[in-house]
Amino acid sequence: MKTILKKKTPISAAILWVYSLFTLFVLVYMTYQAFRPKKDLLSATFAFPKHLGFGNFRKLFVDAGFFTYLFNSALILFGALFLVVMLSTMVAYGIGKFNFKFKSGILLYFLIGLMFPVQLGIVPIFLLIRDLGLLNNQLSVVLVLASGLSMPVFLLTTFFAKLPNDLYESAKIDGAGEWTTFIRVMFPLASPVTFSVCIIMSMQIWNQFFVPLIFLQSEAKKTIPLMIMKFTNNVLYNMDMAMVGSVMATVPLLILFFFFSGRIVEGVATGGVKG
Amino acid sequence: MSWIRSKPFLWFILPGFVLYSLFSVYPIFSAVQISLNKWDGIGKKTFVGFDNYVELFSNPALFDQLKNALGHSVTIFALNALVVLPAQLYLAYLLYSKIRGHRFFQAMIFSPQFIATPVIAFMGTLVFDGNIGVFNKVLEAFGLGEWTRPWMGIPEFGIYIVWLLVAWSGIGVGMIFFLGAMKMISNEVIEAALLDGASYWGRFFRIVLPQIKTTILNMLILTYIFAMTLFDFSFILGGASGGINRSVDVMALFFYRISFGDNSSVGGTTNVNAMGMGTTIACVMFLIVFVVALLQVFVSYRRTED
Repeated sequence: MKTILKKKTPISAAILWVYSLFTLFVLVYMTYQAFRPKKDLLSATFAFPKHLGFGNFRKLFVDAGFFTYLFNSALILFGALFLVVMLSTMVAYGIGKFNFKFKSGILLYFLIGLMFPVQLGIVPIFLLIRDLGLLNNQLSVVLVLASGLSMPVFLLTTFFAKLPNDLYESAKIDGAGEWTTFIRVMFPLASPVTFSVCIIMSMQIWNQFFVPLIFLQSEAKKTIPLMIMKFTNNVLYNMDMAMVGSVMATVPLLILFFFFSGRIVEGVATGGVKG
Repeated sequence: MSWIRSKPFLWFILPGFVLYSLFSVYPIFSAVQISLNKWDGIGKKTFVGFDNYVELFSNPALFDQLKNALGHSVTIFALNALVVLPAQLYLAYLLYSKIRGHRFFQAMIFSPQFIATPVIAFMGTLVFDGNIGVFNKVLEAFGLGEWTRPWMGIPEFGIYIVWLLVAWSGIGVGMIFFLGAMKMISNEVIEAALLDGASYWGRFFRIVLPQIKTTILNMLILTYIFAMTLFDFSFILGGASGGINRSVDVMALFFYRISFGDNSSVGGTTNVNAMGMGTTIACVMFLIVFVVALLQVFVSYRRTED
């Protein structure tokens, strides 16, 4: 069947090649420029490279404190991801597996969040975080991002609702309590969906710009996207740092993505088909 | 105790329920309530009813900003719906039919999704800047030297540059969603179409598109919500003021500027009604989103039912 679907589409193939190679070019070009000193970047952008070296990288790692930003980004990513996965699986299991009176009402309540992008509620969220004394604390970003449970709850509820009841019954007959059943049996069963949730949420959290911008004010607490913006705000003065910062924020992640692209894309597609 | 024991689901739902209610649901209701007050966020709240809404639509300084920002947000949505969405369907179909090199194309088109917004804006500078940009260099190489422009700095182009960056960075996700939906089409449907002798593009229009129309509708709604709440690119390219002549201003940025001030992210405002007017704009945005988004909640809800 697959072979019959194929057709020679030279124009489409050309479009795809041009588009993909353009993207590849931008990435390679940026990486190449990151190895050049600032004065070459600005005055001899297209000239033959005379001075290539790791000077910019050293400056980024040592003087600009790259690893502080990396640590903050990682802390927020893992904190928020842990909360989202744990809470949404529990909620979805509670709604999907048990029968109770306001079941569909609760599900609808969790779906409302699909309509409210975080921007709309940011003023009250800001006031709330201020009153909790969490301004300029990474925990604020973790909590706000982890509260976006709608999409994961939706994906996982669909999964748990379709799961045959026998598994639950047999775990019960073996004498397992509710929590043991959940942690030992149900949570592992949901791992394909959880994987999909992790991928989609990671992309959102890692590149999140708005929420950290509002809540994190001191450089020691800021994330990588905010670091890049500090450099690009005054791009003529910080051209070298903007370049090398962008490369460090992008290239390692993309290399990782290319290795696992099949599985990652599949995970995103699973989320899309259901969402 | 036995009442709780007979309802184990409560313990599963409660923690998520609390966090979600506190940071996702309560803020919306609180925003509506604050929008009925005159308030700077620190001092005393004064209840003023719908005065903030009246002021937003009657004060020329505010209303002009609203019209301009809303116009830009609608422009982004229209371009996304009319150009990006069809392109996503087209690309998804090419990948679906396993065009030679499809794995490479899929990875390349999707990859900007992993690049942070400030980096994408910076890449825009590398390509479109007047002095160091590659695009002008290419124009010169083709003998089109008189067409070179400082593309990033021309106010008239501002919002289209924003759109180009948005499109390049986001085209992959929708494409993958469509591809996923296409792969769900049953083999029988495709085989029947093949027996009918439908051509490659005939199958695309007559079989594939009708089969995934729910996904297309869903994508359209997501595109709308996304465009109406777009913030990052405009803020990065134009700052809180929205660029020269507010040329890249959008709704979320207008809202941010009024709430948190022009200068620093927080506390830079001297506006005595920053929180009141800020939440008023947020509520107007919410209404704009709500009408369309309600549809999506019901589409999603109905799918969990069956």
